[in-house]
Amino acid sequence: MSDTSTGAASEGWGWLPGRLRPRAVESPGSGRTRLIETTLLILVAVLLSVATINDVVRQTHVNHRLIADLRTWREYTGHRYHNLSIEQELFGRGSGREVVCGNTSPGAPKARTQLCLAIWGSVVGGRRTVHGGWYLPATVEDVRADRYGCFGPASAGLCTR
Amino acid sequence: MSVAAQSERVLDRSRSEWLTPALVSLLALALLAATVEIVLDGAVGHSPLIPKSPQIAGWLQGIGERLGYRVFLIAILVSAGAYAGLIALARRSRERVVVSKRAALLLIGALHLVVFAGPILLSTDVFSYIAYARMGVEHGINPYTHGPLAIAADPVYQYVGHDWRHVATAYGPLYTLLSYPLAPLGLKGALWAMKLEALLASAGTLALVWRCARARGLDPVWAILVLGANPLYVIYGLGGAHNDLIMLLAMMAAVSLTLLAPQSRGRDAGAAAIVVAGALIKATVAALLPFMVLARRSLAPLVGALAALIAGALIGYAAFGVHGIDVVAALNRDAAFVSTDSFATEIAHLFGKPGVFPIDHDLLKAALVAIVVHLMWRTWRGYDWVAASGWTLLAISVTSTWLLAWYILWPLPLAVISRDRRLLVATLVVQALFIAHQISPLLAPVQ
Repeated sequence: MSDTSTGAASEGWGWLPGRLRPRAVESPGSGRTRLIETTLLILVAVLLSVATINDVVRQTHVNHRLIADLRTWREYTGHRYHNLSIEQELFGRGSGREVVCGNTSPGAPKARTQLCLAIWGSVVGGRRTVHGGWYLPATVEDVRADRYGCFGPASAGLCTR
Repeated sequence: MSVAAQSERVLDRSRSEWLTPALVSLLALALLAATVEIVLDGAVGHSPLIPKSPQIAGWLQGIGERLGYRVFLIAILVSAGAYAGLIALARRSRERVVVSKRAALLLIGALHLVVFAGPILLSTDVFSYIAYARMGVEHGINPYTHGPLAIAADPVYQYVGHDWRHVATAYGPLYTLLSYPLAPLGLKGALWAMKLEALLASAGTLALVWRCARARGLDPVWAILVLGANPLYVIYGLGGAHNDLIMLLAMMAAVSLTLLAPQSRGRDAGAAAIVVAGALIKATVAALLPFMVLARRSLAPLVGALAALIAGALIGYAAFGVHGIDVVAALNRDAAFVSTDSFATEIAHLFGKPGVFPIDHDLLKAALVAIVVHLMWRTWRGYDWVAASGWTLLAISVTSTWLLAWYILWPLPLAVISRDRRLLVATLVVQALFIAHQISPLLAPVQ
């Protein structure tokens, strides 16, 4: 179909070159455009799928690490508490170094004096290595000013008391 | 044909006559059961998936157990699988009715009512809506200049998400004004009203999708099934009582108006005005306007849009001052946000980067502009403008660095009535990838 036969859609647009005029319906010759679009769409879908799978695998590895951190805290302290908090930002999210905090005696989350452990290294036997830590008074968040009783090399520069 | 071959065909037909409906019923039941599980377990509260909320679904307590990631993810995966099977079977068997109008309405109605009866699911946004309304009505504070922190003593404040407590509203002035009458109802009253608003908006959208599908010669039952039984639409969209559903209602009202025969300038102007009204609820829907204008090739939509914009700007300015109409500032602010679920973040991780960098924001914006220009050119040359609008909404959500489940609902109502089936496939693939991205707690539960 030629561009001059686009009917009502071209009304008033006759001054435009044929290939620029509007059309009421797509030209049957638009198959090549459709093929290019479909190819691009498939490529984008492949990229998004690979990125999604990669991210799920990455997050699963992170989760395995966090599971090891929780187990490490429980075995180190001898408490089987479930309400533990994990801080990933203190040493940098991509550093693989985490701080796990939990109560030193039974109670609601953060309702008792808390013990925080700085944990990193590879997972061995479902646990990682404790490189230091500190205590926090009840009900406070883990901020430098509230840390005390610091121990181990990891706490260097992170405590005031 | 031999007698044996003939009897084999009869046997096959009679087998599919009972097997397909049985399979459809089973899938519908699985979809409903998974939704009921999420709602009943969510009603127990104390779940990381259920926002802290006033007790509105207490009457459902005691039936379920606390909703954990494992149960939630299994339920979502079951829902997604059942939904995929359901729409594939309903589509495949178009030569005869597999899912009747009545059955489709029954399933969609049941899913909607189950979610409506339950707690707020998966998002604190609704509390932000209420907080902004209460700021304006109860406290005389402009929600376009202050965040909910300004009403820290108000009962709603404790329920607003931590990330949003300092943030002024990014929603349009029309939405804020619509939410104002709900503020005096009290927290629980406003919450139920928001839920009802979302339910009615969804019902209206489904009715309009039905109408549009019929006008385009498509199967309306299949169209409403694809939208109304969609797990992300039901659980995330309706479950969170998101105002995106009101935006979608305006979007489909505009599209529906353009599809009514005979075409008239008045209708075109009205449709464009409705798009602008929708954008004054949530700005995203404005993406339809260029395609509508290009497809119509008349001044009517421009005139309608301009008139609505002037009226909206005047009302917005009168109610909220200049900040109430500064949509660009709000959009720029939101465009800088980054969520872990966005495809941009996933691609950054794929290439070994810790996250999205400022240059990536620029690249994504450039990609979006290129896509929109291409679609505008295609629309000018006769491509379905409804599909072009849908592709644009999909491109916005895929290129956004701040992706939430209810953003990938935007193109769905357009996809089900589009003449380009690739749009529906692409939308559902993006939704499937979003769900797939959530499953790591299922593979390695942190506890």
